[in-house]
Amino acid sequence: MKNIMQTIALLEMSITCAALIVWAIQRNFEAQIPVAARMILALLLANLFYWPLGMFMQLPLAAYIRGVTGDLSVVTLLLLWSSVLLDRVDPRNTEAHFVPIGFKVSIVVIAFGFYPFALGVGMFDPYGWGYASIGFLMVVSIFAAILAIANWTKGALIIALAILAWSIHWHESANLWDYLLDPFLMIWALFACIGAIRRKRRERLQSGFLFRAG
Amino acid sequence: MMRVVALCFLLLATVLGFLHLDSHPAWAPFQIQELVSADPESSHNSKAGVVQPKSDWLPDTGAASVHAASLITLKDGALRAFWFAGSREGAADVVINSAVFDPHTNTWGEPTVVIDRMTAEKSLGRYIAKLGNPVPARAADGQLQLFFVTVSIGGWAGSSISTMSSADEGLTWSKPQRLITSPFTNLSTLVKTPAISFTDSRLGLPAYHEWIGKFGELLRIDGDQVIDKRRMSSGRSAIQPLVLIDGPEKAHAYFRQTRGGSQVHQIPVSETQNAGQSWQAQADLPIANPNAAITGVLLPSGLRVLVANDLESGRDRLVMLAQDHSAAQWQIIDVLEDDEALAPEQRREFSYPYIVANGAQVDLVYTWDRKKIRHIRFDAGWIQQAYSNAQAKSANSEEAK
Repeated sequence: MKNIMQTIALLEMSITCAALIVWAIQRNFEAQIPVAARMILALLLANLFYWPLGMFMQLPLAAYIRGVTGDLSVVTLLLLWSSVLLDRVDPRNTEAHFVPIGFKVSIVVIAFGFYPFALGVGMFDPYGWGYASIGFLMVVSIFAAILAIANWTKGALIIALAILAWSIHWHESANLWDYLLDPFLMIWALFACIGAIRRKRRERLQSGFLFRAG
Repeated sequence: MMRVVALCFLLLATVLGFLHLDSHPAWAPFQIQELVSADPESSHNSKAGVVQPKSDWLPDTGAASVHAASLITLKDGALRAFWFAGSREGAADVVINSAVFDPHTNTWGEPTVVIDRMTAEKSLGRYIAKLGNPVPARAADGQLQLFFVTVSIGGWAGSSISTMSSADEGLTWSKPQRLITSPFTNLSTLVKTPAISFTDSRLGLPAYHEWIGKFGELLRIDGDQVIDKRRMSSGRSAIQPLVLIDGPEKAHAYFRQTRGGSQVHQIPVSETQNAGQSWQAQADLPIANPNAAITGVLLPSGLRVLVANDLESGRDRLVMLAQDHSAAQWQIIDVLEDDEALAPEQRREFSYPYIVANGAQVDLVYTWDRKKIRHIRFDAGWIQQAYSNAQAKSANSEEAK
């Protein structure tokens, strides 16, 4: 079981690296690759990361990256994979990638409230809730239900899968937080929020020019 | 329709989550050792029978640098030591070594390699740059369990803890498993001090962080998983918590201080009254600490023993201190090493002590100038007697004043 866990973790990291390369290709070449082609490309790239390449490297590339990043949260993995590999929208149109701004803001607010305390500010440690707090599980489930009610079913499904993964001990961690949040998700949400604010400001400025009294 | 499916799936996941929580073990009291009352008079009277401390060295592996030795008593009464050795601390060639001390012949066996960097990274499925700080413990199922630190990137602040177990008292080991202890890419959790046991046979592993914060935490370990953890200190001032248990619910933790230059360089203390579920900072022990590891043990007589560098800076003096539960002050009972009289460039480092007690035997190991590991075997009666002598001397000097 423990060996399978390591294999799964390396597979996840390989697919994640492949998905990031596919995303970068689409962004750089401003091209929308068909879903099937993206999947095939990701599969080929994932193999490159998963198998040891020999030469001076004893381990697969994914193991080197995993050494630095640790295991990513299930929420990050599923958001990234589904957005890059499955979405049928134009990758150049960032507006079309529908992850509600409310979700991104929530991630930023939660992360900024969570990390300082979890990393040692004071005696209060919210990370401890992730081991055995019924209250915390309830809050996470209610948050996911709100996402579904707000018409973002993908978000609710992703969080449900994260809870499921935690309850069957899918990753090395026994802490629910590690299945829901990681620093990379926080950084992505933070930049997405900053991008959204700048876009709104630009739109407001443009509309101000249009309707300014002559 | 999709929304209903999503909500149903969420409900199913939440129910499974509840079932998972339901199987989570409740927090248990500390396991305490039975105390045997020590009669100071009898220790005075049996002076002739008290065995003097014996000193030797852990076997030489040929490595230029050795550090962070630890000990555990085996089922047959022998002693197994672990330490890390390599060309220098943090080098890629560092391995974790082990050797067994035979109490009948008073000799150490041949050293063996428990794990090296390459084996660790293959088993853990991730790149490992260096190894360190092995800490053994006795798991609930009777197996030996070894906790050690690995670093993938950066210095020791980037450490994570891994663990492996042995069913044959350390001859062979399982593949290591990673403990996940921090939400920020699992960075910066280290181990140095001995584990404690709870009455449900699970282990409590005192660990510490030294990245953004420098603080201690008690990890509750079930097999190779962290199932809970509690903060023992906060801020950037106390690492390497040493836990001495006073009762089923009460314990004290003594730390290595990491305070700034202008602050007091003494041993920070925390206390718990609920078996480690919450900890409160207490007044420092009035013993100088130069940001160096300490070790300690509670003897069956109830005497607390600490080994520490009792200096504000430097690690060139190492002493053994003791305190009876009824006494307010700690007494220095033995100066183990002292290079204070030498010129600064000639002074050697005596650091990272680790002490264990098994009945009447008390064993101490520590790094000797980073080149060797010294082992000293004490008789608990000798320690008790040395403490009584130190107390009497202290009382006499008080009277003289």
